[in-house]
Amino acid sequence: MAAATETGPVEPAPEGKWQGYVDLYVVGDPGRAAAGVVPLPDESAWDRRDTVLDAFTLRDGRTRLVEVRAASVRGLAHRAYGRVRQDEYGYRRTSDGRYLVICVADGVSSGELSHKAATLAARWGTKWLAGLLERTEPADLPWGQFVRGVAGAIERYGRKLLRGREDLDAEKCDLREVAHRLATTVLYAVVDLRAHEGVHTAHVVTVGDTSAWVLREGGQWEPQEAVKNDGADVYSASVQALPLPPVTDPVPVRTTIRAGEALVLMTDGIGDPLGQGTGPVGRFLADVWSRPPASGVEFAAQIGFARKSFDDDRTVVAVWPVSAR
Amino acid sequence: MESEKAKILPFYVLIDVSASMSGRKLDEANQIMPQVVDALAEAPILADKVRFCVIDFGSDAQVRLPLCDVLDQHSSLPPLTIRGATSYAAAFRLLRSEIEINVKQLKADGYLVHRPAVFFISDGEPTDPEHEWRTAFQELTGYDKASGQGFSTYPNFVPCGVDQANPRTLATLIHPASGPKQMQMYLMEQGQNPADAIAAIAEILISSMLASGQSMAQGSSGMILPAKQDLPPGISAHSSDDFV
Repeated sequence: MAAATETGPVEPAPEGKWQGYVDLYVVGDPGRAAAGVVPLPDESAWDRRDTVLDAFTLRDGRTRLVEVRAASVRGLAHRAYGRVRQDEYGYRRTSDGRYLVICVADGVSSGELSHKAATLAARWGTKWLAGLLERTEPADLPWGQFVRGVAGAIERYGRKLLRGREDLDAEKCDLREVAHRLATTVLYAVVDLRAHEGVHTAHVVTVGDTSAWVLREGGQWEPQEAVKNDGADVYSASVQALPLPPVTDPVPVRTTIRAGEALVLMTDGIGDPLGQGTGPVGRFLADVWSRPPASGVEFAAQIGFARKSFDDDRTVVAVWPVSAR
Repeated sequence: MESEKAKILPFYVLIDVSASMSGRKLDEANQIMPQVVDALAEAPILADKVRFCVIDFGSDAQVRLPLCDVLDQHSSLPPLTIRGATSYAAAFRLLRSEIEINVKQLKADGYLVHRPAVFFISDGEPTDPEHEWRTAFQELTGYDKASGQGFSTYPNFVPCGVDQANPRTLATLIHPASGPKQMQMYLMEQGQNPADAIAAIAEILISSMLASGQSMAQGSSGMILPAKQDLPPGISAHSSDDFV
């Protein structure tokens, strides 16, 4: 290579006029997976995206009501083993503009079609729930009937998808056989976009370990349901999931949020590292979500933080009320 | 770490270092952990979750590598050395106390701990009285879920026999012996070289570890053993009712 230096002065390259960079968020020890995983596609589902994200404002006329950020990120383990993202989210604003309906769904890992259950729960479920709200107050929603309806829709869809399989009779097999192939936890939330004295009411229902939190002013995480696996001797991966109907009708949790706070709905891929919200992950997310992140890309990057051994899919939908002036 | 829920998959490797293990058998046994380390270096998802402990046993049992992240440590495994007789009882007792201490500590540190997996490698019959090692094994694996009596963090126990190990004895160590999470025993086939058989067992241990990691990624918390058709040559797999 030395010969090349004899060819006279080299014109300096024109200075680049650009800035910015993308970097990984890291909380504590990132582990080896964050840098070491070679991401593989799932060759059984080419149209399933690795990461999806959204960021938008909901307004009433020219008045900003809430900021919404949403992202679903494929976990490192699914990237490493070439499996689809099984989490999904969905939302709808009711046609009268009054309510925002949100779903966060976590397809059960062992089912090869679980991402389809999660997608159905997120899209069809929010649409149906938005329809119900046209004639029912959130406090009076028939949650048991609704959840059973979603379960029934997943079962029917599952039987359709499983048609033609040699290993089971898609029409006649037991519901558990269907659930073995596709199942999902669900969380539905209805946020009243009309604030009363600055306070928005939200109703939340969950089946399984998908969780709802309110991030209070000052960075305190307030769980809206019991936190999973507390007190178990040896960890168990079993979860409640649709289409298997919950043993008892789900009980809605009613909560309130105001400007400076956020309603944060998440799958266990982020709920597990968050724990009780008092550790380093809780502090990190409280810091970066004290106000809505500027973009969906930023939000998705925050959700995708690296922390040793946490490698599941992660999905969050968060709502920040905007203060009325 | 106060409230997080990182998952840990603990593996315990118990290696017979009685007098009969000397020579190439011991050399191969000493190669097990370096091979595990190489395999984990290629499997970052798993490497973040797996912990290994190595115990050797002869006349007594000793922890050669306390439960740890084997890629994290610069400490290398001290070479195994030969120590006389074959006390299964000493091995089971030490294993039980290690599991108890390790799981308690990991849980105090906020981890979700998967059921420990044990690979038990022996080339001979136990030299201690039968009632003694059987009692020690019962204390290691006995648990009644309904009453909560026994050792709730009992391990999945995979006995591996080479050379003069007695299949009938080892078969009684498979745990759980039945049910959906049934374990297996691996035996050197007749006429094989025992050192090669130990190398093959290392291969089974590694493929089981990799498969268990993948199954964790697919939502299972169970330990996965390789299918019979995937076993390295010279080794056969057995369930507890293969010998009477």
